Amino acid sequence: MIRLAQVLLLSCLLMPAALAQTDPAASRFQADFLDGKLAWDSVLEAARVEGEVQFFYWGGDDNLNIWMDSIVAPALADLGITLRASRITGTKDAVDLVLAEAGAGKGIGQGSVDAIWLNGENFFTLKQQGQLFGSFAQALPNSVHFEWDEADPRSTLNLRDFGTPTQSMELPWSGEQYVCVANRALMSTDQTPSDFAGLSAYLEANPGKFTYVKPPHYLGNTFVQQVLYAFNPDGTGAAPFQNSIAELGADELARLIEPGFTYLRALEPLLLGGPQGATRYPEDGAAADGLFRNSEIHLTCGFGLYAVATKRANGSYPDTAEEIVFPVGNMIKNKSYLAIPGNAPNPAAALVLANYMASVDAQVTRLELVGYPAGIDPWRLAPADAARLEAAAPPHFGITPAELDANIAPDTNASLVDVIEAVWLDYIERGSDQPFAAIVARAAAPALQ
Amino acid sequence: MVAALLPLGGVLGLLLGGAVLLALAQSLGLAPWYGINTFPDFGYFAALWSSDGFWQSVALTLIYSVVATLLALLLALPTATLLVRRFPGRALFGFLYRLPLVVPYGVGIALAVLMMGNGGLLSRVAATLGWISDPAQFPRLLNTHAGWGVIAVYVWKQLPFMVVAIHAVLVAADREPAEAAHLLGAGRWAVFRHITLPQIAPGIVSATLICFAFNMGAFEAPFILGGGYPDTLPVLAWRYFNDADYALQLRGMATVVSIAALTGGLILAWLLAYRAYERRTGRLGHDR
Repeated sequence: MIRLAQVLLLSCLLMPAALAQTDPAASRFQADFLDGKLAWDSVLEAARVEGEVQFFYWGGDDNLNIWMDSIVAPALADLGITLRASRITGTKDAVDLVLAEAGAGKGIGQGSVDAIWLNGENFFTLKQQGQLFGSFAQALPNSVHFEWDEADPRSTLNLRDFGTPTQSMELPWSGEQYVCVANRALMSTDQTPSDFAGLSAYLEANPGKFTYVKPPHYLGNTFVQQVLYAFNPDGTGAAPFQNSIAELGADELARLIEPGFTYLRALEPLLLGGPQGATRYPEDGAAADGLFRNSEIHLTCGFGLYAVATKRANGSYPDTAEEIVFPVGNMIKNKSYLAIPGNAPNPAAALVLANYMASVDAQVTRLELVGYPAGIDPWRLAPADAARLEAAAPPHFGITPAELDANIAPDTNASLVDVIEAVWLDYIERGSDQPFAAIVARAAAPALQ
Repeated sequence: MVAALLPLGGVLGLLLGGAVLLALAQSLGLAPWYGINTFPDFGYFAALWSSDGFWQSVALTLIYSVVATLLALLLALPTATLLVRRFPGRALFGFLYRLPLVVPYGVGIALAVLMMGNGGLLSRVAATLGWISDPAQFPRLLNTHAGWGVIAVYVWKQLPFMVVAIHAVLVAADREPAEAAHLLGAGRWAVFRHITLPQIAPGIVSATLICFAFNMGAFEAPFILGGGYPDTLPVLAWRYFNDADYALQLRGMATVVSIAALTGGLILAWLLAYRAYERRTGRLGHDR
């Protein structure tokens, strides 16, 4: 990947950045579509002419890859579009590619990324840099499957992505909730913690039997965010974390997060490897799953409302794995989205892909085969379609959907996520002994410039 | 002669030279595609070299690289000398020891995880034998700063490479001086020290150089098997590249340039030391 980036950057250097290029046909298509001048049939026709779509998505889930190859690719082929899937290890790779090409002057019709599966910081970056195709989501035929009415509180996840207004520049594709999983062979129901004090107590009795994924990986960030909500000194949970860093300011953020970080530092010696003197944070979800499967940890946390069902079935989790309600009231729920970059080489095909992904067929088959919760909103569907969606959902183990719904918390504002990441690296990983406010001020400096 | 070198020179010059120049330019503040252009600006190097844990990263990178290279060399010398002789099963052995050459590093790393991890095969065998009752009781070999996993993978992969390099020199070397020394009453160690070692020195130098340079720049093994912060330099560079703050990408480039400079400097020193040794033993004087 680094080699690719170098070759890419080399080509950027050789290309005079001043000569911005756009494909006139693609540029006209973009303007006409965003002005609402194009009927869907002419979009389909333009997509057929383009003939392919370059879709970049995290390729770490085999079930998703199989679904993509066996369901999505044939469906798009029927529309005359070849799906070219780039399975990346980190979504930021695709964002970097878009930005590097944009920096080299490649405009609409000239880049190499048509669609990206993303959310949070990555969307925030593309939007901030002005590298998105435009407000397309509500112009798609299948946009009727989503709640767009601001008056309805259930529309929040369609309108805001980690606090950033989506403005239809991305289409909700999948929902997720951060769920912790206990191995019942090692942790009985009455030992199961429901809050962070309970987690510490469990680890005092069973040192080293839990760890979380290392930030800045989003799985680790989310765990840290839940800790910060729970230890919010005002007792207002996630509420203040919906503001941007510019609105909060570094001092106020430092006040809000210091108790949470104090807890994380105290927790460190109780995590995996801590009793032996060197705490170990796995690099990604797969590494954490491996530790859980091998009984090295009794408890693991990650995004996956139906992960226990899927992972029990494919052997990634032992058959004694069960979901738990932890931490009470602070289980982060969010959506992930499909975005179209501003320099997409095949914008029409990207729109057709997005529209297909929002279809009932796509959402039902993915829920059934991959176990990813629907991104479309069931109350917006015809009763028969809503029933199909409900029937496709994999089972829960040890917990009810109502319990999961009753403990939801929203994600943290994207501009705060970067700052919290940097604070974690400084305060926890490097063990900085500077005053906490100074650490936060330094972490917030790039965002506040 | 020059014409024959053109294709290789072109490829190296454009791809490698271009990449190095680009890395250097970026590490000095030239990255207009992220809206940064402060060239020439040595601040990225200054910030990197004074950052927490940077020199620990340098030390770790050097330790893993040097220890792995020396271990592989220590094991390669007797294996290469053994292979020159005839013994039963030599053909099979000659085939088997080369197997890791065709197995990718990634597979070697996966093998290390499966074998050496706390939930790995060795740990499970120990549990079956009743030596341990919990994965945490198995000694931690992976993901520690002692780097046993990283070093094991390097040695596993590079040992056959070193044996091939040294064996090739050994086969081509004149056997008569060694036999004459034997007849004159020299012991095995004296023969090795005064005759065989100087003969195979060029093979040792080239093989250790290549392995050392690879180890300094290797990413996967320390990333997957390493002990976390402080990381080795290539992992550190990767972390900077992946940081949400785009300005840190330039510090990542400064890390890449630092790796290249450190490795290049050490290789140059090693070559100069070798040349001085050649001059002292009088070999260089006769040839040129």
